[in-house]
Amino acid sequence: MLLVLSAEHRAHLGCLPRAGGAAIGELGRLALEQLRRGAAPRACETAARKLNIGVDTIQHGVEGLVYLLTESSKLMASIPFCKISEVDFQDSIHVLGFSDELNKSLLQLYLDNRKEIRSILGELAPRLPSYHSLEWRLDVQLASRSLRQQIKPAVTMKLHLNQSEDQTAQVLQTDPATLLHLIQQLEQALGEMKMNHCRRIVRNMK
Amino acid sequence: ILDDPDLKDIDPTVLKHCHAAAATCILEAGKQKADISAISTCLEDCKLDKERIEQFCTEYQKNKDALEILLGSIGRSPLHITDVSWRLEYQIKNNQLHKTYQPSYLVTLNVENSDSRSHPDVSFSCTMEQLQDLVGKLKDAAKSLERATQM
Repeated sequence: MLLVLSAEHRAHLGCLPRAGGAAIGELGRLALEQLRRGAAPRACETAARKLNIGVDTIQHGVEGLVYLLTESSKLMASIPFCKISEVDFQDSIHVLGFSDELNKSLLQLYLDNRKEIRSILGELAPRLPSYHSLEWRLDVQLASRSLRQQIKPAVTMKLHLNQSEDQTAQVLQTDPATLLHLIQQLEQALGEMKMNHCRRIVRNMK
Repeated sequence: ILDDPDLKDIDPTVLKHCHAAAATCILEAGKQKADISAISTCLEDCKLDKERIEQFCTEYQKNKDALEILLGSIGRSPLHITDVSWRLEYQIKNNQLHKTYQPSYLVTLNVENSDSRSHPDVSFSCTMEQLQDLVGKLKDAAKSLERATQM
């Protein structure tokens, strides 16, 4: 699947051939740092001084590279070493009219960092609170203000969940009958993955 | 009771006192899990005659279990889980990343507050491994429950 590059995007990347081989490495590094940590204007200024190119050109070049890398990583197959995706990338940048050497460096940059970029992009997806862990405790209520001499067993649990960087803990309780019901229901859920229906879909969707 | 035709002739104040007294007596007896002889002794001290004591005790016996259940349910406790629903999904793509191909479970625990007010359910997503971890821990809890009952 080809990547479609807009005219503005192509103009941004147009600075690359003029920049020279060393500059490509530098811009590539800046682009990856931007993906990992966000924009760093000071780093761009330093690079501009070192390479003797205007700051704006550097900035645009870095942004262009970031877009190129993220879009390619987003769309390409997640199977590594898939020949087809490499061809797609090469065809996509071929339209920019760069030299073969430049194309090769860009391809290398993409292949080396594809996995990391995909994992960064994966964290941007919408998320529900996700399970972290569960602690449990067996309690027996012996008496209360309204009734003396009881024997009421209960399982008290602390459910730890992750919600985008925060950890929340919720205290819950259940009685033995419900606990057995929960176990039965969730075991059924686990069993579903092994059923033929799910297996067929997973196989055919790759 | 104030609308009951049989009790029309009695002074409402007296009726209220009687009702309150009887209710208090029943609740105390229920709370302490008093047996028949203790209740009879108590009522004798209050100068009730034998026939009335017997009637009271018979009625009390009939409703004792329901009373105990009611009293036992009063009180605060953490959110109580009543049921669980789950959903298995297979993610294909999202707007940040295409071809993700990952199965995941969405589990919802239906919970109830101790005063029967509804509470938003607890929902979370998890991978197959995480669900296995959760089920393993729940099974440990169930096993220790079983061992406790055999002691």
